[in-house]
Amino acid sequence: MDWECCWSREEVEPENCPYVGEGEEDLYTSHRRRVVEKCVECPRFKNDLARMKGSGSPLSDVLPFILTEFQEQKAQMEAMLSFLNSKTREIKFLREVGIVLQTSLDLDEVLSIAMTAITAGKGFGMNRAFLLMTDKERRHIRGYLGVGPRDYEEAWRTWEDIGRSNFTLKELARDFQKTKLSYEKVKFHDILSQLTVPLADQGHIFNRALQGKKPILVENALNNPDLDRGLARILGVDCFLIMPLISRNRRIGVIIADNCITQKPITLQDMQSLETFAFPVAFALERASLYERLQEEVAKQKSANLKLREQQELIVKMEKMALVGKITSSIAHSIRNPLMVIGGFARTLLKGSAEDDEKRSYLESIVRETRQLEDVLSEVLDYSESLFPVTDFWDLNELVTKALAELEGAMEQAEVVCRQELSSDLPMVRIDYKQISYCLKTITSTALACMEQGGELTVESLNDGDGVMLRISDSGKPLTQTAQEALTAPFFQTQELGEGGGLSLCKSILERQGNSLTIYSRPGGGNTYSIRLLTRKENI
Amino acid sequence: MAKLLVVDDEANIRLLYAQELSDEGYSVVTAASALEAVEKLESDSFDLAVIDIKLKNESGIELLQRIVKERHTLPVILCTAFSCYKDDFSAWLADGYVVKSSDLQELKDEISRVLAKRQKAAFT
Repeated sequence: MDWECCWSREEVEPENCPYVGEGEEDLYTSHRRRVVEKCVECPRFKNDLARMKGSGSPLSDVLPFILTEFQEQKAQMEAMLSFLNSKTREIKFLREVGIVLQTSLDLDEVLSIAMTAITAGKGFGMNRAFLLMTDKERRHIRGYLGVGPRDYEEAWRTWEDIGRSNFTLKELARDFQKTKLSYEKVKFHDILSQLTVPLADQGHIFNRALQGKKPILVENALNNPDLDRGLARILGVDCFLIMPLISRNRRIGVIIADNCITQKPITLQDMQSLETFAFPVAFALERASLYERLQEEVAKQKSANLKLREQQELIVKMEKMALVGKITSSIAHSIRNPLMVIGGFARTLLKGSAEDDEKRSYLESIVRETRQLEDVLSEVLDYSESLFPVTDFWDLNELVTKALAELEGAMEQAEVVCRQELSSDLPMVRIDYKQISYCLKTITSTALACMEQGGELTVESLNDGDGVMLRISDSGKPLTQTAQEALTAPFFQTQELGEGGGLSLCKSILERQGNSLTIYSRPGGGNTYSIRLLTRKENI
Repeated sequence: MAKLLVVDDEANIRLLYAQELSDEGYSVVTAASALEAVEKLESDSFDLAVIDIKLKNESGIELLQRIVKERHTLPVILCTAFSCYKDDFSAWLADGYVVKSSDLQELKDEISRVLAKRQKAAFT
């Protein structure tokens, strides 16, 4: 019989079969493959089969069965192959995600890779995902992060960008962490804030998913009697997937994923893939948050150790100071009474002596020297008192205003103009009011003493990190390095006993309370005395 | 002429106070201890007492408390080498507080201030 189709011929010419396409030319000479791949689908072959039936060939009844069976098997094979391919892709993708999740200790990195994996086309390809995490107190599940577009416009733009970029999943996640994470954290704030659920609410679908350790696919959410309709309204979708995140029986959180833009149904396969993925995510999230907490604890420990060491040093220093204070106070007191008697009687004698008495100048010397010794004694006593500060919270600006008001007379006398630049939003400082007031007055007096008639004095207060800065600037001659050192050296190394004692006392008072005094002289003229007061409570 | 009682355990200081305050026109009686002061207060009447806070083994503040309790009309000025007692609440019972100095002007000013205040209070 002369057949229409070329199935009976060993070899054919191109004009015999129009179904052999470009690149398949070897089929012209390969009989078996041509029959299997082309002829079984060829309409001419179907015509030949019909003609064969008419010819009464015994094969004509059986052949269509075999052919149908063959086609069914082939279709099945193809479906299985496609499934296998998708699984291979999935395994490859899971491996890629797994590596990052296993190695990362950074919470943001884990979040980025997990959320990108769920929403990227190269990953699970869901339109949108929300991550809810259990809070530290383990009382609530709270909305933490949402990823995905808010509307169709944004979705279209994002997908176009991704299509152009040709990033791998890892690169996408890195790009997401770098450029979008902080923005995404606030983008869904309105939705996330409504997703807080107490862990004790057993009936809630989140807790049901966690309890059952299985994902729940919610369909027809707006009319589902088993479901709180509020959730569907918050999310704005009818169909979504709830994936529990559990690591070693600990409830880490929940992922909600949906296709809010494309409305594509969520398949069983989507659900299974996400389920495989949920465990490493939960584990990595737990590990990253544990690591974060560990880091916090380590930092706390470090600072506690440092503080402890500082406190120990301070205690040693304070013990020394206390001893010095005790000795000076005891000496000062035993000197004061005899000194008073000497000076007192000298004054009495001076009052009674005649104006031209030559011994008058001796008495005057005694009176003068006694007065000076008494001043030194007062200073020494002030110092020994300073060893026991009484601290409380005070408004620094008020202290400054009061202390400067007391010095108004001295400033008028020196014709000095005083400018106050006090910051209005200072925190309260924990200080010994009397002592800091003394320091401010002493420093201002020292500054006045260094200035010529008619200078300018600026007193400013400002916020300075965890403390408050008080700056006193004069327009006097800049102090030399030696003069600065002499002024603040402990105890009386300068010739001017009073002044030297004053500033060094200020320095020791301030340092003992965890504060500091620095002097800076501008080469062009003027000196700035900076007092830094700490606002932290635990410094005292 | 106002009559003052000066209580101090140091003889030279008593002498200095007696001399200077007499010159100011006050009649001055001195006591070396709290016990002596109490005896003198019982046998005589005074317009004001100047008391040192540290009296050998006794405390001037205790003496002040006793005076406030038994003779609340008698004004007291505390006088000491220690400036830190200013923050002792009991010391606040005194009408005045003076840190010891070879220049007695401050004490004299304080005495006349306290006396004037008492006088004014007595009239009104």
